[in-house]
Amino acid sequence: MSKTPVTSLDELSEQLLPGSASTWQPPKHSPPVPVELRPPRHGSLRQRLRAWRSRHLLREERARAEYHRSRNPERGLPVSAGRAAWEFVQRLIGRRRPLVAGVLVLHALAAIAGLVVPRVLGHLVDVASVTGTLVTTLNTLALTVAGVVLLQTLLTFAARCSAAVFGQDLLAEAREYVVHTVLGLPLSTVESASTGDLVTRVTRDVSAMSDSVRWALPQAVIAAVTTVLTVAAMVLNSPLLAAPLLLSVPALAFAVSRYLRRAPAGYITEGATYSAINTTLTETVEGARTVEALGLQERRIAAGDDDVAVSAQAERYTMSIRNLLFSVIDFAYNSPLVTTLLLGGVGYANGWASLGQITTAALYIQAVVEPLDRLIYSLDELQVGAASTTRLLGIAAVPPDRQAGPDRPAGVHLQGSDLRFAYRTGHDVLHGVHVDLRPGERLAVVGPSGSGKSTLGRLLAGIHGPRTGSVTVGEVELTALPLEVLRTEVALVTQEHHVFVGSVRDNIVLAREDSPDEVVVEALRAVGAWAWVKELPDGLDTLVGSGKLALTPGQAQQVALARLIVADPHTLVLDEATSLIDPRTARTLESSMAQLLAGRAVVAIAHRLHTAHDADRIAVVIDGRIAELGSHEELIDADGEYAALWRAWTS
Amino acid sequence: MQDFPPEVPAYPTSSASAEASGSRGRDRSFPDTRSPARFLVWLLGRQRDVLLAVFATGILVFLPGALGPYLVGRAVDEGIIAGSMSGLLTWSLILLGVIALGAGVGVAMHTFAVRGWLLALYQTTKLVTRKSTQMGHVLSQRLPTGEVLSVASGDSNKYGALSETVGRAASAFFAFGVVVALVLHTSVPLGLLTLVAAPVLVFVATPLLRPLQRRQAVERSRTSDLTSLATDIVAGLRILRGIGGERTFGRNYAAQSQRVRQAGVAAGIWQGAVDATGVLVSGLFLVLLTWLGARQVVAGELSIGQLISFFGFATFMVMPIYTFFELAQKWIQALVSAHKTIALLETEPPWRAPAEPRDLPRDAVIHDEASGAQIHPGELTVVVSALPDDSAALADRIGRYLPAAAGPVSTELEEDVKGRTARQTRAQRLAQRRERAEADRERATRRWGVTVGGVDLSEVPLARVRERILVSDAASMVFGGTLQRALDPHGRLSRTEAEQAMLVASAEDVFEALPGGWQGYLDERGRGLSGGQRQRLVLARALATDPEVLVLVEPTSAVDAHTEARIAERLAEHRRGRTTVVTSVSPLLTRWADRVVFLVDGQLAGSGTHEELVADNAAYQRVVVRAMDEDEEASDVQDTRDLAR
Repeated sequence: MSKTPVTSLDELSEQLLPGSASTWQPPKHSPPVPVELRPPRHGSLRQRLRAWRSRHLLREERARAEYHRSRNPERGLPVSAGRAAWEFVQRLIGRRRPLVAGVLVLHALAAIAGLVVPRVLGHLVDVASVTGTLVTTLNTLALTVAGVVLLQTLLTFAARCSAAVFGQDLLAEAREYVVHTVLGLPLSTVESASTGDLVTRVTRDVSAMSDSVRWALPQAVIAAVTTVLTVAAMVLNSPLLAAPLLLSVPALAFAVSRYLRRAPAGYITEGATYSAINTTLTETVEGARTVEALGLQERRIAAGDDDVAVSAQAERYTMSIRNLLFSVIDFAYNSPLVTTLLLGGVGYANGWASLGQITTAALYIQAVVEPLDRLIYSLDELQVGAASTTRLLGIAAVPPDRQAGPDRPAGVHLQGSDLRFAYRTGHDVLHGVHVDLRPGERLAVVGPSGSGKSTLGRLLAGIHGPRTGSVTVGEVELTALPLEVLRTEVALVTQEHHVFVGSVRDNIVLAREDSPDEVVVEALRAVGAWAWVKELPDGLDTLVGSGKLALTPGQAQQVALARLIVADPHTLVLDEATSLIDPRTARTLESSMAQLLAGRAVVAIAHRLHTAHDADRIAVVIDGRIAELGSHEELIDADGEYAALWRAWTS
Repeated sequence: MQDFPPEVPAYPTSSASAEASGSRGRDRSFPDTRSPARFLVWLLGRQRDVLLAVFATGILVFLPGALGPYLVGRAVDEGIIAGSMSGLLTWSLILLGVIALGAGVGVAMHTFAVRGWLLALYQTTKLVTRKSTQMGHVLSQRLPTGEVLSVASGDSNKYGALSETVGRAASAFFAFGVVVALVLHTSVPLGLLTLVAAPVLVFVATPLLRPLQRRQAVERSRTSDLTSLATDIVAGLRILRGIGGERTFGRNYAAQSQRVRQAGVAAGIWQGAVDATGVLVSGLFLVLLTWLGARQVVAGELSIGQLISFFGFATFMVMPIYTFFELAQKWIQALVSAHKTIALLETEPPWRAPAEPRDLPRDAVIHDEASGAQIHPGELTVVVSALPDDSAALADRIGRYLPAAAGPVSTELEEDVKGRTARQTRAQRLAQRRERAEADRERATRRWGVTVGGVDLSEVPLARVRERILVSDAASMVFGGTLQRALDPHGRLSRTEAEQAMLVASAEDVFEALPGGWQGYLDERGRGLSGGQRQRLVLARALATDPEVLVLVEPTSAVDAHTEARIAERLAEHRRGRTTVVTSVSPLLTRWADRVVFLVDGQLAGSGTHEELVADNAAYQRVVVRAMDEDEEASDVQDTRDLAR
């Protein structure tokens, strides 16, 4: 290799960095939020109000745009339609009809008991207002109310318990379903998608759904039942005195529905801005050393402050829609009291209403505020929960990437022909590659980054199906095999050696979950891990993984190898499988690795040349094509790319 | 009046902090970290104008509830019973006025309450950012990063909730006083009853709260285990779908999910008991009040209207009482959070400005006393060591980074640690943290042991060292944002310089992978790029910074041989005549070195060109040139590279 003069880099730039000139922009600081969102400092009240309105509308637009983005992600997993969440909940509820009925009845009874109290109190007023009433009558009435309160207490307790049982049961099923769908994601999706989106879904979205199911759903039910029963009780008490409350219903309905139409977008946007704050802060905190090294302190502070400024705008929007709601409902709740009083006055004068009825009506008006409030807030919360649920159900909406056929491989011969593949339509990363892997052979694949060698490995392991051509084992297409079969034919071994939270046994039997202990022990022996596993407090049942017993990197690697011994595939595709091995444990792992590879065909995608050196054949992949293929000696003789590299390595 | 987001000053930079820390106690713009309570008082004090506004508006908002029953009573007595339409109208109109006023001011109160909440929340978030940037690499050695982040994501909300409750509770207290005055004015015994009943109502439920909180704690801890299981499944999903095990781990998740359900039901039942007790106590209070009231009506000491007023008062009284209760809860929660927050905010950088600051001599030999290694100016030096940690430690010394002596000290206590044990544990951890800080300070202020042209690094202001010597470590962070910003965070580069840096680092594929070229968007932490791509982008960024001394730790550990060869060649060319230190064991890099420094057990064991060392030094040969006679996988396993995470 000759030294390349720097000047040629300049010439290279437009060729290697296409679009560099057109996309480079002089650095500028754009304000985090548009200037139109800053309130004016001067102006008359009218001008200020008008300015506030236009800010509010702009914020609304931003919230809608953010909501739309969250519903239609550009990348990552899909999101289900809003309807899906309700259908899902209906399905879950449908399976628990008796329990649901029990919850509703108990809450209704508790609410009714609560509604009896004002009635009796009203009666007490009527009794007390009649001159010559005996104190004993009062005592009896008071005792009756006390009894009713006691009953209400017991019913409330029973109702809350039943709601807890119901809510928790529903929630458990829902989250278990979600994890079930995660575990069923298509292999190609799992390999190509970044896990961040999925992590967010199984943590934040599950938690939003939980809050919604555990708190908002029962609250909404209780509040709705109580509200309806209270209104009914009011009408029963006196239709005349109930009229003002009923008349304020349209105003309430208008304000509430207006609010509920806007709230989800508002709160989801708000949530997104807090994620943005957290993301930036996480980078700043975890990258504190990089910040210090590069002197980025002020820039990170500015980035954090920008996120806060954006979040503040989202908060202002939700604050405004709440304010608009409150200004109506506060008045709508309380003003019927005045009208009822006036009507009561007229009614009392004309003998249509008694003092007791007026008292009861006034008490009911006060009593209806609280459940109505709760109803509005729980509906709000439910909508946010529903949005999260649709994201969770979206996981199940990923279409399957393969259809298992009836054929089973005859033999162990792995062959790929005319392989083309594109992650983005029109951008093939492989251009008609042929690979014929002889049984038991070691094939090393080398090549520069981006040449397509990892993609080739994935195709040969049956992770992705090729765009054209086919990869077959024993004459059967890899992607037409059920996963359980595929795993025992070919396995892709990557740099990851994740130790799952679970027992040692759980961590090893993966490919054949019904393996007896002897098989597990045998596999551990083969990789030289049995010595330490048997010394563990509970042997194979010892819990390991994050938060439990931590394994050393070497032990984790042994566990990963033991998994493959249990899987026992005849062909292994190693994607830089060993470059993560801790040098301090390397010695002990040499024989473990040798045990695993013995008697299997191996495709080793290698960054390191010494891996290639001892392979039976070496394939040099450049720009999606196999440029050179042959043994080490043959390639050295051919004096091509590989030979040049080898000289650089050993000189 | 303040509005959100709040303005928060940056902490003084590390080298100036020594002088500033003395006056910090008096400067009210920085938090008071002497105790959790003082911190909360400081935080609330920062927004006392907003709290006052919440209080003032709250008084008017609670007026319909507090005064309403009285007005209704007067309307009944003087209007309905008296049969006077004008009386009824007068009192009804007053009532309507009070209601309208309350509803109108409600908007203002809500606005102020939100303002207080968000001021506290954003203030805390901003303080965490500022403290993190001030502490730099020392931060992760003091506190676990997860806990630093939880101050901003969890604790800040607790302070917001506290602020909101404080203002509201103050006005509720006022409303409480109004009701008591009205009730006492109407009937002394009933007034006294109302006065006494309020605290009784609060305290009667407290015995039930303890078991409830215990069960909620169990539910929380099981839920967090469940979440960990789910995250664990996602983290290992490639393996689960690639090799198998879906059934096993699906079953494990379901089992834990059922344990959460049981804990949730248990907590739900206690919550039910608390709710039911609330119904019972407030119901009985209402009954008692009315019964006594009705007897007074019969005895002619009370009018019907006044009795009706009492119903209203009894209903309303529940609100302030619960608010006080809420305030107590929020205060306790905020105190717990404040423990964690001050553990972060009280940490100070260990650095002290040198008494007689000197500048770093230019073009001088860098001498590391600990290993004996020498870095010559203008040369490309490759540091080779069988253990990557030894080379990394040398790089840290050259860059004046404190070694991580021990792991960070957590502030979080286990769920079952309570009362005195909790206090003792907290005190222990505090002492431990202070001890570490002291040790760091000692190490940071004494002679450093790396000299540049005879000047020890401790004699040079830290900012100056950072400016002149850049250490790009293996765990360098890629910040999300546009590619242009990621490569050129300061906005100092010309396009040609940026292109050069990308090409030297062979990072063209990163450029191509992002739609939109330089304006293409990188996800947070460069997620979505492969390990190799991230590593090359970090390299490009370090090269683009163009420091006088550039130290690269394992810059190509995740890169394939082809690309590594290309990078090595271009790097040598690009940095020609500039001091550059690279740690690596790859012959593709060492052959371009002007000088290779070979370390064994952290000590200099040889120095010279790659060819010289290969010829003379058997140990070097073993580390750099693989023994090729072993079989493929064995030599593969021997690979001593440590991939950049």
